[in-house]
Amino acid sequence: MDGDHNEKGVSSAAQAASEDTRLALAIGSGDPEAEREFVLRYLPRVRAMLRARLRNSDLAADLVQDVMIESICALRRGQLRDASKLTPFVLAIARNILYSHFSDASRRPESLESPDDLPDLRSVSEDVEVEQRRILAMNAIAQLDPNDKIILHLTLVEGLKPGMIAERLGLSSDVVRQRKVRATRRVAEFVADRSQNVPSLDLTAGRTP
Amino acid sequence: MTPCNRAPAIENAAQYIEGTLSQSDSERFEDHYWNCPACLAYLQALEAVGDELARKPVPQIAPAPRKRAFAWPAPAWALGAVAALAVLAVIGTRTLGPHPEKPSQAQSAPAVLPQGTPSTQTAGSSPVQHAAAQLADLALPVFATPNLRGAGLEAHFEQGMTAYARGDCQGALAALSKVPAHDKNERKAEFYSALCRLHEGDFSSAEAGLRKVVDAGESLQLESALYYLAQIDLARNDPAGAHRYLARTISLQGDLEKQARLQDQKVLALDKMSGGTLGKDGK
Repeated sequence: MDGDHNEKGVSSAAQAASEDTRLALAIGSGDPEAEREFVLRYLPRVRAMLRARLRNSDLAADLVQDVMIESICALRRGQLRDASKLTPFVLAIARNILYSHFSDASRRPESLESPDDLPDLRSVSEDVEVEQRRILAMNAIAQLDPNDKIILHLTLVEGLKPGMIAERLGLSSDVVRQRKVRATRRVAEFVADRSQNVPSLDLTAGRTP
Repeated sequence: MTPCNRAPAIENAAQYIEGTLSQSDSERFEDHYWNCPACLAYLQALEAVGDELARKPVPQIAPAPRKRAFAWPAPAWALGAVAALAVLAVIGTRTLGPHPEKPSQAQSAPAVLPQGTPSTQTAGSSPVQHAAAQLADLALPVFATPNLRGAGLEAHFEQGMTAYARGDCQGALAALSKVPAHDKNERKAEFYSALCRLHEGDFSSAEAGLRKVVDAGESLQLESALYYLAQIDLARNDPAGAHRYLARTISLQGDLEKQARLQDQKVLALDKMSGGTLGKDGK
């Protein structure tokens, strides 16, 4: 059983590396279709990361554009030496831009020069997947116990710690923590399970050519 | 890449988006979910829930009155029936049927079965006391191994929990004892070591370990530690002690609330049969 898993793991990793190589080389050779594929694959990861790290959707949206533009430009210039390391490369660019933002937060950020022939990032970012996930989230929230709903709201939206929530709701902080863990897991699994069942939602590491 | 059971996301995603995960743990989690569709989907789901909550703020309701830990859900006649059934079921299976290997709650898919068994009936113990011991749920909870890339787990902890998942308590204890103090998994190591000792039948050491977890305060293991302390007391024929720990478990209103409440009803019913006073005057 473990052997099977290991073999599958190795072949899956090898397949991902081969996909990375193909995509990086295609972008380097100026293939616009490869750039669109790159955006489809990496935009959700970059967006999820920056939204979580910045806790500010508008700012995250700006930096997502910067990461995608910088990544595509670097790939066009052939700056990725090992084409099989595309994912770590994009992740590193995302972190660089994020940490630069933190260190230069007091300064007005300089906007990147954007080439005219980039793939359309906006149309992808507002696609049907986000809307489907939003509807699923709404359904998941509707099924929560009212107190759990408030605890999640105070945690995820207002950023309060269990102790403060406990004080506000007249519960013990242990109760708040337990309910928070339970409710978080319940809603996230509800949405994630159903999102993965949506055929149009491409969450796999890469698409086959 | 091995198939992921989402354990990394379940463990880290909420703290990650709350901004309470350390930078190194955040980066480790990113290294993982950038390569893991299941964990990415979980994170995106949580972000969508946050967005939706922000879009439609939840009305702040007045704090609900705290539940009494031992409010009886059923009228007195039902309590009598439960008590009689519990005692008859336990004593009946003990005397008429084959010896049950596990109490009923052990059916919730334990990874391994414990070697430690509740106290056997001695000449001095009453059938009711013995029935209390038979209520003890000593099945080990399943541990889902996180699948983080980049050495997410301290090596001894990982080794110990791999042994635990196999049901190798000796191996688990040996490895978990080497988890360095102040490691982020130190409390988990303490908790699972205590469960292994429970499995080995060493109730005193198990109790000491679980108490350490409880005394350390708020943690994800707190509820389970209280629950298993109640099980130790039950196995020792101490319904009063079990009742106290079950009350604390119930008060946390967590995943084990229902299970603990059912078990406590049986404990109280048995106590009532023997003329006890548990559950009265807030005891």
